[in-house]
Amino acid sequence: MLASFRAELLKIRKRPATWVLALVWFVLLVLFGYVFTYTFAANPPDPPKDQPAAVQQQQEAINKQLLDSLLPENMLKTLFANGTFNLGAAIVLILGAMAAGSEYGWTTLKTSLTQRPGRFGFLSGKALAVGVFIVLFVLLGLAAGAASSYDVAYLEDATVKWPPLEEMARAVGVGVLTFGAWGFLGFALAMLFRGTALAIGLGLAWALAVENTIALLPIDSDWWKGFRRLTLGENTASLGSIFGDPNPSFGIPAPLVEPERAAITLGIYVAAFVALSLFLLLRRDVT
Amino acid sequence: MVAPVRQETAEKDRPSPLVETRSLTKRYGPRITAVRELDLRVERGEVYGFLGPNGAGKTTTLRMLLGLIRPTSGSAAVIGEKPGSPAGLEKIGALVESPAFYPYLSGRDNLRVMARYSGASRSRIGEVLEQVELSGRAKDKFKKYSLGMKQRLGVAAALLKDPELLILDEPTNGLDPKGMADMRGLIRRLGKGERTVLLSSHLLGEVEQICDRIGVISKGSLVAEGAIAELRGREGIMVRATPVEEAAQIAEKLAGVEEVTVNDGALRLTADPERAAEINAKLVSAGLRVSELRPAEQSLEELFLELTDGETV
Ligand SMILES: Nc1ncnc2c1ncn2[C@@H]1O[C@H](COP(=O)(O)OP(=O)(O)O)[C@@H](O)[C@H]1O
Ligand SMILES: [Mg+2]
Repeated sequence: MLASFRAELLKIRKRPATWVLALVWFVLLVLFGYVFTYTFAANPPDPPKDQPAAVQQQQEAINKQLLDSLLPENMLKTLFANGTFNLGAAIVLILGAMAAGSEYGWTTLKTSLTQRPGRFGFLSGKALAVGVFIVLFVLLGLAAGAASSYDVAYLEDATVKWPPLEEMARAVGVGVLTFGAWGFLGFALAMLFRGTALAIGLGLAWALAVENTIALLPIDSDWWKGFRRLTLGENTASLGSIFGDPNPSFGIPAPLVEPERAAITLGIYVAAFVALSLFLLLRRDVT
Repeated sequence: MVAPVRQETAEKDRPSPLVETRSLTKRYGPRITAVRELDLRVERGEVYGFLGPNGAGKTTTLRMLLGLIRPTSGSAAVIGEKPGSPAGLEKIGALVESPAFYPYLSGRDNLRVMARYSGASRSRIGEVLEQVELSGRAKDKFKKYSLGMKQRLGVAAALLKDPELLILDEPTNGLDPKGMADMRGLIRRLGKGERTVLLSSHLLGEVEQICDRIGVISKGSLVAEGAIAELRGREGIMVRATPVEEAAQIAEKLAGVEEVTVNDGALRLTADPERAAEINAKLVSAGLRVSELRPAEQSLEELFLELTDGETV
């Protein structure tokens, strides 16, 4: 497994697509998490002259609140509670799908497996290496958020106050669980379909379209709620909410699941996706 | 009571084959039987040619020997291990079908990945690149390689472990004549000494040039196996004599005649053609009318066509 882990690290590290994904994640986070919001909050539209003073005050308060949320002390709220990290979910889903699916596309599975590692070692090493890169993507997201919020503080002449260390550690945990669940969903789908294309297509459709639709459907029954409590989005949103309430102007509904349960659910998803991948590889012929 | 004991010791003393399959069978669905009841033996140190037309089941067999696919029934042992077990794979180098590597990595980095999987030392990478004459292009990306270079990288990866057994599946496929000649030269060099090579091919000429012993597979079944000389050496005498049944009976009893087959009203005797005159005399003195008698050598090509039902090879 260690041999396979080391081989896989080399493969992922040297793959240009890995770094393209990292760059896209960085840019998405900075743009959607900070630049757009900041541009809007720092340059509010001129309030119409004939508005009563109360409305004008309200407008200013909202702007102030928006700006505050971009400062370092609120970094984790912006990154997690406001759903910025969900943008990264799509990225790591692609990362996971590529790591597993490309072996089929290039038919390199036979080359690697005949070298020696054994199927169990091959796949567990691969999953571990993907896990390492998932952690790196989480750290990249936190670093990008820190850098962006620091810039906002600089531009606004605000004092820089970082979240306490234990909050940061919790953020790493939440990020890893969130990205782990999505990344290994992509991984398992790619193993299931023996390729990247369908895995990424279906995975993204699920992440971007289906889960959001499920959350919005006006069905008010217990079994439907029970089902919604199992979706990845619901659980990651619940974990994100531990860093504060989402910005009210973003219109994010309150989570259905308690954070402890969400953490366990996501952990089980990661284990289940890896187990499914192992099961498929151990069972099937490599043709 | 003595005989069976002796037989047992004889069995034990005989060196165990490096590759041995017993009734190895692979079916795909109810209709396709890719490999049927295959009993294959590859002895230590030989260069074994696994010959058969396209679609005969060569690749399927080799994949089973490597543990990539599971047999439907039957079993195989490779270097005394279960196919696909790390203990066995440690001593096997393989190139199955077209060479497959990570396209965005250089040739050298691909070998680094493979060395990590196999536990081969890093110093082997330079050595095997040298062996397949790829050192000059080792830094280029795999996707930029010509087919010949890809095949050679495949052989290099198979050599990383300095394997006891080298399994090569049609390594000359798609190469130009020069590339083919180079690859054959390389395989011949690799097969020298202790190393065992199992080479599959659909080209008779190729295995004739390279291999010590061949097995012929057709439609999933092994239809002939033996040393090249043995297979080619099935020379004999063709006899037309009447009545043919009586001639066959007499011929069978003649000294030096190993086998008699009747084909199209003619006899084919497996015997030294030098003895044609003697056999003629014997048949005539037995009162038969001999109308034709000539040496008949079956070329490997004819044998092969016969064994594979005339499928193009
Ligand atoms: N995955 C598969 N599914 C169905 N049929 C297959 C599969 N792989 C091989 N076959 C069939 O099995 C037979 C043997 O194929 P193969 O072993 O590749 O032959 P060869 O290597 O001798 O050309 C062929 O008829 C081929 O079509
Ligand atoms: Mg083949």
